[in-house]
Amino acid sequence: MPRKITMQITANEALSAEVRRITLTGDITAQPGQFVQVAVTAAHDPYLNRPFSVHDWRDGELTLLYRLVGRGTAILAARQPGESVTVVGPLGRGFPMGREHSAIIVAGGIGAAPLLFLLRRLQAAGKETAFLYGAQTAAALVLREQFQALATTYAESTDDGSRGRQGQVTELLQEVLLKQKADIYACGPEPMLRAVAKLAAAYQCRCYLSLEARLACGVGACLGCVVPARDGSYLRVCVDGPVFAAEEVFAP
Amino acid sequence: MMPDLTVTIGQLVLKNPVMPASGCFGYGEEYAAFYDLSQLGAIVVKGTTVEPRLGNAPVRIAETAAGILNAIGLQNPGVVAAKDRIRQLARYGTPVIVNVAGNSSSDYQRVIEILEDEPTVAAYEINISCPNVKQGGLAFGTDPEVVAELINKLRSATHRTLIVKLSPNVTDIVAVAQAAESAGADALSLINTLVGMAIDAEKRRPVLANLTGGLSGPAVKPVALRMVWQVTEAVQIPVIGMGGISCAEDAVEFLLAGASAVAIGTANFVNPTVCPEVIAGLSEYLKRHQLRSVQELIGLAKAAGKN
Repeated sequence: MPRKITMQITANEALSAEVRRITLTGDITAQPGQFVQVAVTAAHDPYLNRPFSVHDWRDGELTLLYRLVGRGTAILAARQPGESVTVVGPLGRGFPMGREHSAIIVAGGIGAAPLLFLLRRLQAAGKETAFLYGAQTAAALVLREQFQALATTYAESTDDGSRGRQGQVTELLQEVLLKQKADIYACGPEPMLRAVAKLAAAYQCRCYLSLEARLACGVGACLGCVVPARDGSYLRVCVDGPVFAAEEVFAP
Repeated sequence: MMPDLTVTIGQLVLKNPVMPASGCFGYGEEYAAFYDLSQLGAIVVKGTTVEPRLGNAPVRIAETAAGILNAIGLQNPGVVAAKDRIRQLARYGTPVIVNVAGNSSSDYQRVIEILEDEPTVAAYEINISCPNVKQGGLAFGTDPEVVAELINKLRSATHRTLIVKLSPNVTDIVAVAQAAESAGADALSLINTLVGMAIDAEKRRPVLANLTGGLSGPAVKPVALRMVWQVTEAVQIPVIGMGGISCAEDAVEFLLAGASAVAIGTANFVNPTVCPEVIAGLSEYLKRHQLRSVQELIGLAKAAGKN
């Protein structure tokens, strides 16, 4: 059940020029794929809370990754350890554990954020994991060592070839799929998610996608964050997702 | 001694003057995770139409300075499905107000007809002011004669408390308020959202798929306060004030302006426990000012305003 709680900031550090990691302690639980809303300011401007997927949760510590994209995240970046922050969560439907022995995790840029917690859970469940990490440049592959150390196998790609394969991370996915059947998990830009869903359908693999949307309430009340469902109705990213089975949201 | 927070809206006696605003609270269940909804003075559920409505295409929300624009487009499951969800609210023992929307007067009548045998429904809030649907909604809310004709018809369709929700997107809100009162409305609620727009400078296009949307949040509070003040000068029936309320002090301001109760909308999105916090804050305010009843606050600023 989600709650509104006060959490203490224990760390708030830069991982790259654009991406930061904030660590919070407080009475909260989370499942991989869930998210929280952070009240970045009480000053009404920016007005809405900022949604961030749970990067990690263990030993009473909640970790979030965030990219500096605007005023909300700039305010958050200036918050210091020792200060407190209001958080609403945990919110949304997370990743299911899947059925296959093997799992492939596809991360695109900051889309890697919710996938560490998932990776640890899948490893703990005894699954064999392949972590495929794509970004525009080597610098944007934040925390690559962390993912590499945890996953059974690891591969990476960059648009500019500055690290790993030059090209799309979905090319790496196709290569893995040629060798094995697996449950697929992905988070990243929408074109990447669509490509992942297509490959999953072609190789008849279960596929779970974490979507991003403009959120207001985060609890299902405002109907602001909807995405079209296959049946023509709308699904709320905040409570029906943010993790969806690929076939719920994308045509194969 | 605990101050008395009771207020009366038509036939409804509310244990406190605080309710969520329609459209910001779904059918209640989303916020039940955060607190016991029986604390609320009333529960106001989402705009409900005869048939299910898909709503508008996304993007539906744009953040603005101290507020948001929304263009949800009255997405709702239709009155028959909504009725089941409304019935679930009976357990909280607090009055349930159903926001009724439609394209034609017969649409509104039909929604009421279907809900008349549902004992959980205490009152209807007639939404003549939704800015985000192509027909009906706002079209009903801008012409006093059309409002009077609609409310006359609905008055004969129910004995329950009839609240008319007014649009701020008019030249003279007082004329519309008076038309609703003389046609038999028991109460008024105001304001609905102000029509606005957001444009993305980088993408060089409107942010909302619907192009325009309704502005709400702290940004609209001064407009709402002014309209509550003007309308309560001109009508005898109680007014539920709303528009940007996010704390107890905001609620007090609306009561001082003449509102008999308040509704909290967009602030729920930012602070899911804002409603019980405002209720507690009202009590504290009354204690601090040694007032016994919240009713003493209603319109209290009027006298000062006339000096």
